[in-house]
Amino acid sequence: MTGTRAVEQWTVAPLERFVTEAGARLTLLMTPAGQVLAQHGFARAVDVMSAAALGAAIVSSTGELARMLAERDFTALNHQGVKHGIFLSGFESPRGRLLALVVYGPDSSVGLVSLFFEELVRDLVATCPPPAPKKPVLAADFERELNESLASLFGR
Amino acid sequence: MADDLQSKIEQLMSDPRSLVFLEVGETLRVRGELEAAVRITRKGLDHFPDHADGHDLYARILVDAGSADQAEEEWNVVLALDPRHVGARKGLAFLCYRRGELDAALDHLELALAADPHDRSVVEALRTVRNAADQAMQDASVRGGALPAAMVFAGLEGADAGLLLVDSRGTVLGGGLKSADQQPVGVEVAAYLAGVSQEAERTARLLDLGEWNWIVAETAEANMFLTQPTAGTLLLMSRDRSIPSGRLAILAGKATAAARQWLEAQAP
Amino acid sequence: MTAGKFQRALENITRVRGVRGAMLVAGEDGLIVAESLMEGVKGKAVAALAASLANRFRRVAEASATGYLQFLHLQAFEGVILTVPADSGVLVVALAEPKVNVGLVRLEMLRAAEALAG
Repeated sequence: MTGTRAVEQWTVAPLERFVTEAGARLTLLMTPAGQVLAQHGFARAVDVMSAAALGAAIVSSTGELARMLAERDFTALNHQGVKHGIFLSGFESPRGRLLALVVYGPDSSVGLVSLFFEELVRDLVATCPPPAPKKPVLAADFERELNESLASLFGR
Repeated sequence: MADDLQSKIEQLMSDPRSLVFLEVGETLRVRGELEAAVRITRKGLDHFPDHADGHDLYARILVDAGSADQAEEEWNVVLALDPRHVGARKGLAFLCYRRGELDAALDHLELALAADPHDRSVVEALRTVRNAADQAMQDASVRGGALPAAMVFAGLEGADAGLLLVDSRGTVLGGGLKSADQQPVGVEVAAYLAGVSQEAERTARLLDLGEWNWIVAETAEANMFLTQPTAGTLLLMSRDRSIPSGRLAILAGKATAAARQWLEAQAP
Repeated sequence: MTAGKFQRALENITRVRGVRGAMLVAGEDGLIVAESLMEGVKGKAVAALAASLANRFRRVAEASATGYLQFLHLQAFEGVILTVPADSGVLVVALAEPKVNVGLVRLEMLRAAEALAG
C-alpha cells in the first residue's frame, strides 16, 4: 500500500516519483478552485480539504499581489518553519492551470523540492490525458462525484 | 497535574469529539491507569478512526498492558495511514528487538531516522540494536570459524578506532570508530553513512557524472575517506588532521583490499 | 560582501583549469545565491544536491564528534563536486572535470569562503 491516493489516476506515478526524490511528507495536486486531483501523506479528509482550500486561497491572494505589481504571476511560494517547510506552486497542464502544495521535513530542502518539482511538472504534462468534454453539473452528480473523490483519495 | 488532568477530562466530556483525548489517554497511560486509558483512547478513535497519532497512542497502551500482538496490529494501522510515522516505526522496532528479530528492528529504526534525522531516541535505539546485532554476528562467526567482524582490519593501523565497514542499510559489518575521547561512535556514524552514499549516487547520476568513486571530507578534527569496496558496502576511514587526505587515500586502498577479502570469505 | 565581490570570488575559482562552474549556495535551502557556470551546467541541480550531500555528511561529522565540516570532495568517473561551508550557512560549491587540480580549486574556494566571512 502506498501513501498516494488520486482521483485522477494518471497523476499517481509522477507524484510517487516526486515524493520519493524530493522527500516530501505531504503533497496535494489541485485546481486553483481547490478541487483535489491527488494527495500523498494525508490521513484525514478534513485535512485534505482544509489544506486544499488554504493553498488555493494563498495562490489567489499572491496572484492579486502580482497583478498589483503588474507581474504576470508568481510561480512559487515557500515558507520555512523549524521542522517543516511548505512549497506552493502553480503550473500549466493540458487540463489547465494546476497547483501543487508540498510539505517537506528536515531531510529535504526547498532546493530539492523545487528541483524535482520541475520534473514532476514535466511528467504530469506528459502523462495527462486530454480533457473530457464538459457536461452540465447537476446537484446529485456533484454530491456523488465528491463522495467518489473522497473515496479515491482515502482508499475506501 | 491532577487538576490539569481533571480539567482536560471535563473538556473531553463537554466535547467528546475533541482531540484532547490524546493528551488524556497519554497521561492515564503514564500513570499506569491502563483500563481508563484504553476506554478514553478507543472512544477518541471512534470519532477519529483515521488519526495516526490516536492509533499510535493505543498501541503504546497495549504494549504497557502486555498485548504485543494487538499493539503490532495497531502500529501497522498507523503506517497504513502515515508510512513515515516515527512513533510507529519505533514501536515496531521495539517489538522486533524484543523477539530477537534484530534485522527487522534495524529496518524500522532506519526508516524512522530517515523520517526524522534529529530524533536522538532513534539514534540511541539504533546503537543498542546494532550492538546486539554485531555481538550476534560475532558469536555466529566465531562458531562458524570465519574471521570475526572486529578483525576485518586486523593488522591495519586504526583497525577498531578509525576504520568502519558498513552495508548499504547502515549496519556495521566490521571495524570500529571512536571519537577523540575514545567513545565508540561507529553505530551512529554507520546510520548516517547510508544516507551519504544514497545522496552521492543520486548526485552523480543526476549531474551525469557517472558512478561515484569516493568522498573525502575534512572536518575540524579529522580527515575522512569514504569508498565502496563492493556494491552495497561502504568503507569509512577516519584519521586526525595530521594525516593528509592524499595519504589517507593510499591507506584506504589497503583497507579496501582487506575488506574485499573479508567479504569474499563471508559469502556463502 | 557585495554582489560584485561574490562574482569576483567565483571567477577566481572558475579560472582554475577544469572547473566547469562555481556557485554560492544557501546551505539549508539548496538555493543558488550567486553563480558562475559554463553552458550546459545544471546549476539548480548542482546547488540542491551539493547542499543535501553536505548536510548529510555534516551529520556524519557530528555523530563522529570530529567538529564542523570544512571541505567535501565527491569524486566520480566523469566529474567532481567540491564544497566548502562558509559563514552564515552559505556553501561555496564547484563542479569540475575529474582530473582537475583539486588542491588549487580548494585553495580558491577557501579564499572565497574567507572573503564571505570578511
